[in-house]
Amino acid sequence: MKQRAVWPAILVAALVLGGCGSASGTRSSPGGSDAKLVVWDWKSGEPTAAQYIEKAKADFARKHPGVTVEFVAQPHDQYYTLLGTAIQSGKGPDVILFNGGGQIRDRVDALLPLDEYVAEDRQRLAGWDAFTKDGKTYAGPVTLQGHPIYYNRSLYEKAGLDPAKPAATWPEFVANCAAITKRTGTKCFALGNKEGIGIQFFLSAFGSGVLTPQEYDAWIAGKRDWTSPHVKRIFALWKETQDAKLNSDGPNSTAMFNDAFALFQSAKASHVIGLMSDIGHWKDFGEFLTADKVGVMRAPVVVPGATPSLPFDGGIGYGVARWTRDPKLAADLVRSLTSTDALTAFHTQAGAIAADTTIDVSQGGPAVTTIVADLASGKPALHVALSSRTLDLMGRVSQQLLSGSITVDEAVRQLAASDQAG
Amino acid sequence: MTSRVRPGRWLLAVPMSLLALATIYPLVFTANVAMKTRREYILDRFSLADALRWENVATAWNSVGMARYLANSVGTVTAAVVLLLLFGSMAGFALSQLRFRGSSALFLGCLAALFVPFQVIMVPLNRIMADAGLVDTYPGLVLAYVAQFLPFTIFLMTSYYRTIPTEIVDAARIDGNSVYGVYRRIMLPLGAPALLSVGILDALFCWNDVLIALLLMPSTEHRTLMVGVTSLRGQYSADIPTFASGVLIAAIPVLVIYLFLQRQIADGVAAGSTKG
Repeated sequence: MKQRAVWPAILVAALVLGGCGSASGTRSSPGGSDAKLVVWDWKSGEPTAAQYIEKAKADFARKHPGVTVEFVAQPHDQYYTLLGTAIQSGKGPDVILFNGGGQIRDRVDALLPLDEYVAEDRQRLAGWDAFTKDGKTYAGPVTLQGHPIYYNRSLYEKAGLDPAKPAATWPEFVANCAAITKRTGTKCFALGNKEGIGIQFFLSAFGSGVLTPQEYDAWIAGKRDWTSPHVKRIFALWKETQDAKLNSDGPNSTAMFNDAFALFQSAKASHVIGLMSDIGHWKDFGEFLTADKVGVMRAPVVVPGATPSLPFDGGIGYGVARWTRDPKLAADLVRSLTSTDALTAFHTQAGAIAADTTIDVSQGGPAVTTIVADLASGKPALHVALSSRTLDLMGRVSQQLLSGSITVDEAVRQLAASDQAG
Repeated sequence: MTSRVRPGRWLLAVPMSLLALATIYPLVFTANVAMKTRREYILDRFSLADALRWENVATAWNSVGMARYLANSVGTVTAAVVLLLLFGSMAGFALSQLRFRGSSALFLGCLAALFVPFQVIMVPLNRIMADAGLVDTYPGLVLAYVAQFLPFTIFLMTSYYRTIPTEIVDAARIDGNSVYGVYRRIMLPLGAPALLSVGILDALFCWNDVLIALLLMPSTEHRTLMVGVTSLRGQYSADIPTFASGVLIAAIPVLVIYLFLQRQIADGVAAGSTKG
């Protein structure tokens, strides 16, 4: 009898042992409750977002002193998989962070339209379009994301160039690059296209210097003419930069994030197409390049008649889950997360270009001042308008273009077919 | 008298050494990066670290509460492996040695379960766990691990027990043992090498899991060590030396276990290979 009782006893002990642990912790409410809101994001765990989250929590606590807010920082690479499971189960967080564009538009069925709650914030915040579908807004924008062309002002000075006057045309730009390479030995572009992302940034950063304003607007509106010689010119330019040895070595085996930006900030390349928020921006380069050494230039004009502009869209924003018990309460939390105080802290600590256009950025240095000034005339990024399938294909054909195994005509033909297939 | 090494051994030793180097290099690279400053890493990631700096390890340990995560991992993995070995060995014994209707179909069912990716069952699992009140609880995570890795355990234990002659079981029954007595007195001791191998593999599966733990343990304080390490990465970026330190912290328990049990592990793998 004694022996027979051994295994059940072990089993019970193991389960009790496991159960003991859970009893000691605070249980979250996956679906939220009147007294608690659960937020999923991938930002709140980052040290540079700490002050932003604290300010937002404080603002919300003033308005709703009895409500607890729990931030659950998820790893970004698993984020949308987990969110998809939560959405299909109908059990998940109350407030959810999204990337603007396709990521949120594909999931609006799980979200509440926020228009009635955020009317007062319309003028103060920019970037709403990235969180809007069929005329309804599903998230409050936190940051703006775009693709400025950054340059190293010190290298310009060393090459005898005026860092206040970057090239306005493509021939000038190539000549400047040649001068920098000759005097300093550095390459013109830090390029990482291992994941095929380099071409996306290139298309958006240089597109406005190639397409006419009408072509640009038509592209964004979905009326894309892939047979246009100007569209082909962008992809030919991509190939030319490689053939002219303007790019850093081995772009097809260099990762964009971390690696290509590391080349730029450690002065191994004079230019990089970067980002405005998160990574690869003026503050992110700060360990090697102080803010006054980072310049921002508009796309050089390649085709006469083009009007260069800053490509940008809404970056990240918080939305409210359809299943939340108190939508107004959750929407109030979104408003706290997009309040001026909170976004000012985010800009100051993380260097993000916040969606709040009233924030004073004058302390950020020349790069951030130029970016913010260019927002007024900026336009949505060309690559953001494309489907993820076409972007994947673009990544592959861009690598083939760099390696010389495909022609520009063939690349554009494949991309047109993918884009038209939807 | 000098011992002569046969040339054939050298021929074998060279590729095996290269293989060993290729296996060890990622760990050495990670340890080296963990000792670097971010600046040092950006300037040259392949150079040797200037000095042994433990600041990154301390940052990784403190910034996301690794001590708590380590305890969570040790507790859940231990409980899961105990249950997996218990149920796996019982099922393996039954499917290999006991004659009953449907045993082949049951074994095939276990085999089929091996081919179902976890992503396919994520939604129903999440629903069932949530409805049972097991989301964000340690028993919930342990049960999920047992459910996920039991087919593999059963498959290996069944294969191993099939190599044991049926006459041994018959003799034990004639001697008056019950089925449970045969399992406890004969099959468990005979299955020890396989149990050790399977236990190590199960422990590694559970230890390295990120997705199940992320799905079922949403609270920050209930996370496991590997989830904690993953959370050191941002969307695009990471402080790579700190992230490498987190990876190192997660690898150390596995390495320590290997150092202490390497003889048994080698014996277990060898036993499995000759009898399986």
